[in-house]
Amino acid sequence: MELQGYNLPDHLYYEENHFWVKEEGDELVMGMDDFAQKMAGEIVYVQLPEEGKKLKVGKKFAKIESGKWLGKVFAPVNGELVGVNEELETNPALINEDCYGKGWMYKIKPEDKAEMNLLIHGVEAVEKWLLAEIEKYAKE
Amino acid sequence: MEAKYDFEKKFREQVLQCSRCGFCQAVCPVYGATLRPAYNARGKMLLLKEVMDGKIELDDQLIETIFQCTTCASCAENCPSGVNVPEIIKLARKDMVRIGSCHPAFKGMREVLQNHTNIYAEDEPEDFGREKNRKASVVFFVGCVGLYREDESTEATLNLLDRLEVDYTLIDEVCCTGVLEDVGYQINEELARKNIDFIRATGAKTVITGCPYCSRTFNSKPQYAALKDTGIRVIHISQFLKDFDFAVKTLRKVTYHDPCDLGRHCGIYEEPRMTIRKFAPNFVELPHHHADALCCGAGGGVRGAYAKNSIAMARRRLQEVEEVGADVLLTECNSCVHNLANAKLRKQKFKVCTTTQFIIELLEEADSSG
Repeated sequence: MELQGYNLPDHLYYEENHFWVKEEGDELVMGMDDFAQKMAGEIVYVQLPEEGKKLKVGKKFAKIESGKWLGKVFAPVNGELVGVNEELETNPALINEDCYGKGWMYKIKPEDKAEMNLLIHGVEAVEKWLLAEIEKYAKE
Repeated sequence: MEAKYDFEKKFREQVLQCSRCGFCQAVCPVYGATLRPAYNARGKMLLLKEVMDGKIELDDQLIETIFQCTTCASCAENCPSGVNVPEIIKLARKDMVRIGSCHPAFKGMREVLQNHTNIYAEDEPEDFGREKNRKASVVFFVGCVGLYREDESTEATLNLLDRLEVDYTLIDEVCCTGVLEDVGYQINEELARKNIDFIRATGAKTVITGCPYCSRTFNSKPQYAALKDTGIRVIHISQFLKDFDFAVKTLRKVTYHDPCDLGRHCGIYEEPRMTIRKFAPNFVELPHHHADALCCGAGGGVRGAYAKNSIAMARRRLQEVEEVGADVLLTECNSCVHNLANAKLRKQKFKVCTTTQFIIELLEEADSSG
């Protein structure tokens, strides 16, 4: 959907800190959503941990920075980090250019794919969440 | 012609002294990363002479060149004509700000510090679980980068101070605001007073800083003269640690990056090395070291305003670590650690951390191996 200039595709699942998740075979792909990349400004650094890192749902596993902001990347599900987008090492601004495509960030092997159902998904849920987030950040 | 700007009133002769030799170009980190002559000291002096001659205005068209400088002072260190380019640039920046021409990132930084306690406009510093503002012999002053970006480094330093049983306290510190003087503004006096009041309330006679920029600011800026006037000594953590032997060793090849704010600006080169050599018999120097050290690219506000170039500069420095085949790169500045760690490529397997982080790691290894 497009809402107040922010594009959040309907088919994706969203972690509350504005990371999108989608299935790709047995793995999940994760990235930053359009709302977050716009709020952050030009991304200058993305931490790319080593593959094999164990991920615990809700726990920070990486950092991301723009010129003015340090963000934490939280694991959307329990699992293992099995891939990173190495292009981001020298071109982190790919996240701003194409956050749902070339700017993907991490690949995860989930312990249980069903945990995705705990993420925000579906037009109604995403719209309600996004409106609340827009209002929250407008106040700050 | 009457001098129009402060930089000309104070430094006209120096600007004219620039012989265009280009020695500065060989050592300028911004030029090294961008290959743009206008960004290097010689280019800046040429442009400022044009301003002095009334041929161009000191306005927005010069923002890129005047504000893109880490103030690392490599140029001044190598200038055969004695031109102190960083000081000229800092004053030119103040002239530009006065006439309303400033890089938006720095204008934003000043505004942030008018409304917040730190350069990141964040409200929740890392909680290190230590008491703050108690009566103690020593105040440990962390600095913004250590509080909001490099908390692991700060935690390691605090662990080390705990192990050494130093009677220290943290305080509800705010930004020293020294960086504002470098980017066209002035120290935020309200924040400076807060720091002084918090420090004095502890009764401490020594302040140890985690950041060399903070210790420079406290020691050299008149807004912090009250510290010296009341007999409070301010030192950097590297100066404090030099007298300790931690009885640990590593056979890993260790090298050291001289932070500009500690090295060229304060002349503190040997103290960090004294500490490192005690635990690292395989210490090697980087190709450019001591007064010739390459800047990491973070200083002078450049990491905030020109992040891509800042990281490019850091990558040039990290290539030197690869050249010497070091396993560990140590440094004594959280800002340097932050920029160097961000710039390090995955294929570069060496470690980047502060000396205190590494000492704690060695101590913990020794503890666990019994």
